[in-house]
Order: sequence, then C-alpha cells, then structure tokens
Amino acid sequence: MTTIKKMLFASKFQELTFDALESLLDLRAAGLDHVVFLYVVERDKVAMHRGVGYQKNEEVKLKEVANIHFIEWAEQLFEQGMEVGVHIVVGTLVQQVTRAAGMEKVDLIVIGRPTRGLWEQLVSGSDISALIRRTNVPILVHKQLPSESVEKAHAFKRPLLTTDWSPAADRAQEYLMGLKGLVDEINVIHVGKEKALNSLSAMEVQGYRNTHRKKLQAVCDAFGNVGIQARPHLYVGDPYQEIERAAREWRASMIVMGCSGKGSWRERIIGSVPRFLAEKSDFSTLIVPRKQAE
Amino acid sequence: MPKKVLIVDDDPDVRLFNSSVVQELDHIPLEASNGEEGQQMVDREKPDLIILDVMMPLQSGIRLYRALKTDSTSADIPVIILSGITQHSFMKSQEALTAFGGSDIPAPEAYIEKPADFETLSMHIEKVIRRE
Repeated sequence: MTTIKKMLFASKFQELTFDALESLLDLRAAGLDHVVFLYVVERDKVAMHRGVGYQKNEEVKLKEVANIHFIEWAEQLFEQGMEVGVHIVVGTLVQQVTRAAGMEKVDLIVIGRPTRGLWEQLVSGSDISALIRRTNVPILVHKQLPSESVEKAHAFKRPLLTTDWSPAADRAQEYLMGLKGLVDEINVIHVGKEKALNSLSAMEVQGYRNTHRKKLQAVCDAFGNVGIQARPHLYVGDPYQEIERAAREWRASMIVMGCSGKGSWRERIIGSVPRFLAEKSDFSTLIVPRKQAE
Repeated sequence: MPKKVLIVDDDPDVRLFNSSVVQELDHIPLEASNGEEGQQMVDREKPDLIILDVMMPLQSGIRLYRALKTDSTSADIPVIILSGITQHSFMKSQEALTAFGGSDIPAPEAYIEKPADFETLSMHIEKVIRRE
C-alpha cells in the first residue's frame, strides 16, 4: 500500500495555485493528512547590492506576501481537519525543497513547472534533475491540464504509466499499485526505439511487438490482480513525443514514470525523458525516483 | 512572582518581540520554533502560560493546542493564540478534528490576530496570568 500522508507543496503562486492543491486532495484516500507549504524567496531578489547591502526589507515584504497567500490556503485545509505546515525561506528552490522534504519527512513533493532559462540549466543543471538526484521522494510536477482533457479534477484518477522495464519503472508500477481506490484506470505504455526496428525484418518486427505486448500485458495483469483496471499500449518513436501523444490519446490525468537519477553529466547536456516531460509536457508528471539502495 | 511564559512561533522576529514584552512584564520568556519543540518545552519546563502561533513547520499550533488540552498534565496551562489565522477558522478546525473522533476541547484563554502591538499583548498576558 502506498501511503501519502504528508505532502510538500512548493508554490510560487503563479504556477501552482489553490486549484492545483484542491485537485490533489483526493489523496486523502491514500492517507493524506498533512500539507506543508513552501515558498522560496529567490536569493537574487534580496541579495547584496552596491550601496544598498542585503535587502532585509525586501525579504520581509516578500515573506509577508507569501504568508498572506498561505494563510488563505491553510484556513481552508485546517477547517477540513487537516494539518498544515509552512516554510517561507530565502535560498534556491532545489536546496530548500530538499531541506524541507527531509526535515518534514514528506511522502510526496509537488512543484510547478520549472521556469529557469536554458543558459542557467546548462550551467547548473535543471531543477528537476537536481531534485531527482537529491531525494528519493516521488516528485509531482503539476500543470494545468490541457482543455481537451476530460480528467481535469483528479490527477491520480487516470494516469499513464510509462515503462522501459527498468528497476525504476518497476518502482513506479509498485507505487501506483499501492494507490488502489484513488486510481480508476491506468494506461501502460512502452515506447520502442524506431532505430532498433530499422534493421529488423517484418517477422522480427512482429516478434518484437509480441514480446513487448506480452510484457505490457503482464504489467496490466499485475494491476488487475490488485483491482485496478489497466490497458497496454506499445508505441514506437521518440519517447518524449510518443508519451505525450499517448497521454492525449488516452486522456491521461498525468504521466507517471520511474527515474534512476543516474547519468547526471550526460543528462545535463542532452536532457533525459523524465526531465523533458517534467519541463515540457502539458501533463502533470509524477517522477518516482529509485530507492536509495538501488 | 515571575511566571514562565513559553512562546511558540517559527518567526524569530516575533519570538524576539514577544520575549521582550514578557520580560517587560517581569516574567520569564522561553522559546520554541515549532509545535514539536513546543511540546518538548512544555514537558520539560511546565510553563505557566503559552503564547502559541498556528502556522509552523513540523507541527501546527492547532495540533499542539489539541495535544495540550487533551493531556491532563498540560490541560490547565492557559494558552494565548497569536496568529494570522482567524479565530473562526481556528475553532472550525478544532470542531473538524472533534468530528473525526477527537475529544471536545475548550476555547483558548485569549485569541489575538497578528500583528500584536505591545499594549494588546501585554494586556492579554497580564489578564490571563491574573485569572490563573
């Protein structure tokens, strides 16, 4: 059973609003009882400037504005009998999310779509990649769903699980299997590489298809055994584009994938599928990191 | 006779201000920066009065207040809530927790919505301590 008792909700207010929080409150069925709000005042907004020094007044003002937002949100949750915590701090997003997640021992981190520019990401890596490397807590990058999606309200209702048969993908599968009662239906997708198929004969391509369909069916059967309806889908092509396409075709409420958190240098230059989806996809993306020991 | 006043608030500036008010009134301020630390201080120091914030890391003032009032060793310690959360919301949250199977708990001795000035805070501290 997957337990999501405590959730860290790191908001800058524009990209992650109370609507987003409300769409996650059905996690109460998975034990959610405690929401921890985090607002990070970016260091450069209050940093030392020549002739001005450290801008303490600006820090106080930004913290108070954040506090006003959180009071509104907290009152709504408190009145439903939930527990609420707040961290309003100066620093960098990655550093402070990691610190708060560790201190509060949360079960899920929710952040908005990262907004750092390409140059910043090339220099210091993406926030998503850095978070995946630093924490083994699942990370939900929340986005407003595309207007054509039918599943607007509940992120966990109709997830699209992507698998590449890796241990990280297995962990994502286990994670969703533990959320029976929250999940209505899962679409499971594997994206085959077009390059790998180019050199194969028609028979071999059919064999490839059969092998992967069987593996997908085994995953769906495992979900069926715990009472979650699942459907297998085999796509071929660019993983990012195909996963995005499948999410639209099967009207997913979010994309779920495992992530090993390895290969950071290569990833910094060319990017990884979880990072691409987290940053570019129109769909909310749940990244389930490897366990510490893997 | 000086009383021990525990201030539970995650904002160091608020703790500093409240402590100065408590000292001004010739009482002894004690400080905790979140609900968990506050609970430990209550167990260790047995304060005579608690000034409690609501929105804090680790454990909120709402849960700490409930824990204090349902424990016979701390139920009699008077509490002043000092928070940005409205009193209405505070009481509704306690009602919700009672509805989920918790026990009925009394209202706090005083409720002050932030920000508190020197006169308001000192008046409530004196009033509650005198009543005690």
